[in-house]
Amino acid sequence: MTGSAVRLALEGVGHAFGTLKVLDGVDLVAEPGEVMVLIGPSGCGKSTLLSIFGGMLAPQAGRVRMDGAVAPDCLNALTYVFQDFALLPWRSVAGNVSLVLEDSALSAAERARRVEEVLALTGLSDFAGAWPKQLSGGMRQRVGIARALAVRPAVLLMDEPLSALDAQTRGLLLDEFAEMIARAGVTTVYVTHNLAEAVRLGQQVVVLSRRPGRVREIVRIDRPLAGRHIEDADLLAIEQHLWALIRDDAALADRERVDG
Amino acid sequence: MAEVPFRGGGFAPRDIPAASVGTLVGLVLLWQAGASLHWISTKFLPAPWDIARALYALAASGELWVHLSASLQRLAIGWAVGTVAGLVVGLVVGLFTLARSPGMAVVSALFPIPKIALVPLFIIWFGIGEGSKVITLAFGVFFPTVINTVAGVDGVPRNLIRMGQSFGLGWWSIVRKIVLPGALPAILSGFRITTSTAIILLVAAEMIGAEKGIGAFVLAAGNLYDTDNLLAGIVLLSTIGLVLSWVIGRMEKLLLSWR
Amino acid sequence: MQLGRRSTIALAAAAAVGARGARAATPIRLGMLHTLSPAPFYLAQQRGYFKDAGVEVEFRFFQAAQPIAAAAVAGDIDVGVTALTGGFFALAGKGELKVIGGALHEQKGFDLTAVLVSKAAYDAGLTSLDKLGGHSFGITQYGSSFHYMVGRLAEIAGFDLKSVTLRPLQGVPNMVAAVRSGQVDATMAIASMARPAEASGDAKIIGWVGDLIPYQITALFTTGRVIADRANDLHAFCKGYQRGIADYRAAFLRFDSEHKPIYDAATDAAIADISKFVFTGDPKAAEKIKAGIGWYDEGGALDVADVHRQLAWFEQEGMVKGKVDPAAIIDTGFLPTR
Repeated sequence: MTGSAVRLALEGVGHAFGTLKVLDGVDLVAEPGEVMVLIGPSGCGKSTLLSIFGGMLAPQAGRVRMDGAVAPDCLNALTYVFQDFALLPWRSVAGNVSLVLEDSALSAAERARRVEEVLALTGLSDFAGAWPKQLSGGMRQRVGIARALAVRPAVLLMDEPLSALDAQTRGLLLDEFAEMIARAGVTTVYVTHNLAEAVRLGQQVVVLSRRPGRVREIVRIDRPLAGRHIEDADLLAIEQHLWALIRDDAALADRERVDG
Repeated sequence: MAEVPFRGGGFAPRDIPAASVGTLVGLVLLWQAGASLHWISTKFLPAPWDIARALYALAASGELWVHLSASLQRLAIGWAVGTVAGLVVGLVVGLFTLARSPGMAVVSALFPIPKIALVPLFIIWFGIGEGSKVITLAFGVFFPTVINTVAGVDGVPRNLIRMGQSFGLGWWSIVRKIVLPGALPAILSGFRITTSTAIILLVAAEMIGAEKGIGAFVLAAGNLYDTDNLLAGIVLLSTIGLVLSWVIGRMEKLLLSWR
Repeated sequence: MQLGRRSTIALAAAAAVGARGARAATPIRLGMLHTLSPAPFYLAQQRGYFKDAGVEVEFRFFQAAQPIAAAAVAGDIDVGVTALTGGFFALAGKGELKVIGGALHEQKGFDLTAVLVSKAAYDAGLTSLDKLGGHSFGITQYGSSFHYMVGRLAEIAGFDLKSVTLRPLQGVPNMVAAVRSGQVDATMAIASMARPAEASGDAKIIGWVGDLIPYQITALFTTGRVIADRANDLHAFCKGYQRGIADYRAAFLRFDSEHKPIYDAATDAAIADISKFVFTGDPKAAEKIKAGIGWYDEGGALDVADVHRQLAWFEQEGMVKGKVDPAAIIDTGFLPTR
């Protein structure tokens, strides 16, 4: 679906908030079309890394590089999907999606066409006129996805997109996500604390250490997303492995004071 | 086994519109009864019926419309000027670091000045014509508008602004489509305050050089101890306030239906 | 301790004296503007004339005329001296106030209140009182003494009051400033404010109110309640007032054959006493006092006919509601009439 093939790289990235060092010497590369999952204990800087990836936060050390081909119909190369959905309550579903197209050179007709297209993709065609406050959490996140897809992104940056949903909705959306990401073929960086999501979606699973966040280990899962099921033995084994890596750090992080 | 008693009562007062209207009407009737039965002396407190008659006389002679239109015109222009200026300054102070601290410092310093005390200065600067009256109203409306606009802008959820930035929306797009609609509830709420302020200031503004106007009318009646007309004028001012409040309520319903 | 007979009598006598002293010590509260106008009262107070007559007088100062009338009605003061405004007559008409004597009076040939016009208006042709029609006129408020004076000027000088645009400006300084800056065409002000305005070149005096309108500007009034309960104190008060007026007239209102005022030691003594209340510490006090002197009738006589005339005018202009019986609001039992 996407015409872009973009490679995203972090080189020697470090960051601190005041005296609190949150990231230290992080080197990562996301290959074109690949799904990179960032996991780690609380406070390890996953979300901070994601902000740095997309240029929403300037790192104190190191740099972010993007190279490769960005398709001509891409309106916003580095596009986010948010944990809290970030929908404008005063616009309808269609209005929220069209918001991100309005600053471009697209005509009104082209905009409407794209909006229709992504709403159909995410199963929201019947809800085009609904207000966010009328929608369930799962539906709201689908709007977030639709909005992200509308700009034909070169990179999808997803910040714990399923965390705000209940377990049942999460399970439903997880499969939809996997399908959507596989079809889109967009370079994706996906932050989560949920190991099941990590093994379901990730091709390069990056395990971060406790604060200050460093790359502890990178686990590769080379199976295509399409055929994966969370009960698959190999995936479960990887999940165990990931948990083993994280468990001690997670226990320590849990007992840490947030202000460091 | 005993039944579990209900413990979750209270702390949820409901609005009963019939009670609001009923109470006001009841008080007026009580007042009228007191006056008619001579429990209350009408020498210096006219009965509601006297006030109604004074209002009718004003309307019949056409005076009512003359005063009303003079005042409404000043209110409209003064409020509009103060509101537009307040919105612009409020936005600038709310959005730009350079403007924020100086802006808030100036507003905090000038806001508490009683506008009535400034009327003589306004006369010197703007004369005794419509100019000084409109400026007095605009001045009184300006500061609460700035403060409410800044609060409204500050209150726009940060995550929405970051969302706009992450999608590459231009600065002006973000202001127009995210900041302003997000600040609108606070701004409209501020309008309730500023319309009341403007009505209060109307009397002060019309103190100098005004032949016609409800404020001037109230002042003249007061001078002459014409309590019937004095209270009639006050009833008019009060009515204007109620009407404006209702209008803002409808605007809120219309513009904030998404809440 | 046992009281001997002598000490008992002494105690009783002391109690009696104390009681009488206590009664006389309830002061008469006089409400007034803190200006030069009530000068005879200042003289009477400073020279102990009220005490001599057997009454304590307390001054209560106000910023404007209206509240003085209201204060009398509310019982905050016992007597007041102020302008007879529309509001005064409205209160009097409700049976609350009674005029008992005269104070300041406009007098022909005695320059007190001038009609001041802006230079621009003068140059454009507003050179005499009869030409005031169609112009704007600054007053303090509707129903004020200035409003009355304009109305009567209209009747006598021959212009249409309805063609005059009245501009309420709340205070005389505002009125003078408005004329000097050309924002209103004309206004009235007392000599001490009008003359400097003319000297500055921004305005011109085109006439004196006193020449055309004999006018009881301010009067002494009280309430029916005070007349009923404290007639003796009122009489004592009036005696003191009359002595104050006598001294005042001796100091300022004697004229030689050329109608020039005669100033002598009595004048200086009066100025010294008056400046304890107004222009205190002002090096120019003497000039200002001489410039602002107003006319008081001998004995504080009340111009009853003029009070009737004023009431009729306010009623005719619709500023006093209901028919007020002029006789009911005047009590001539305390001071003489003109």
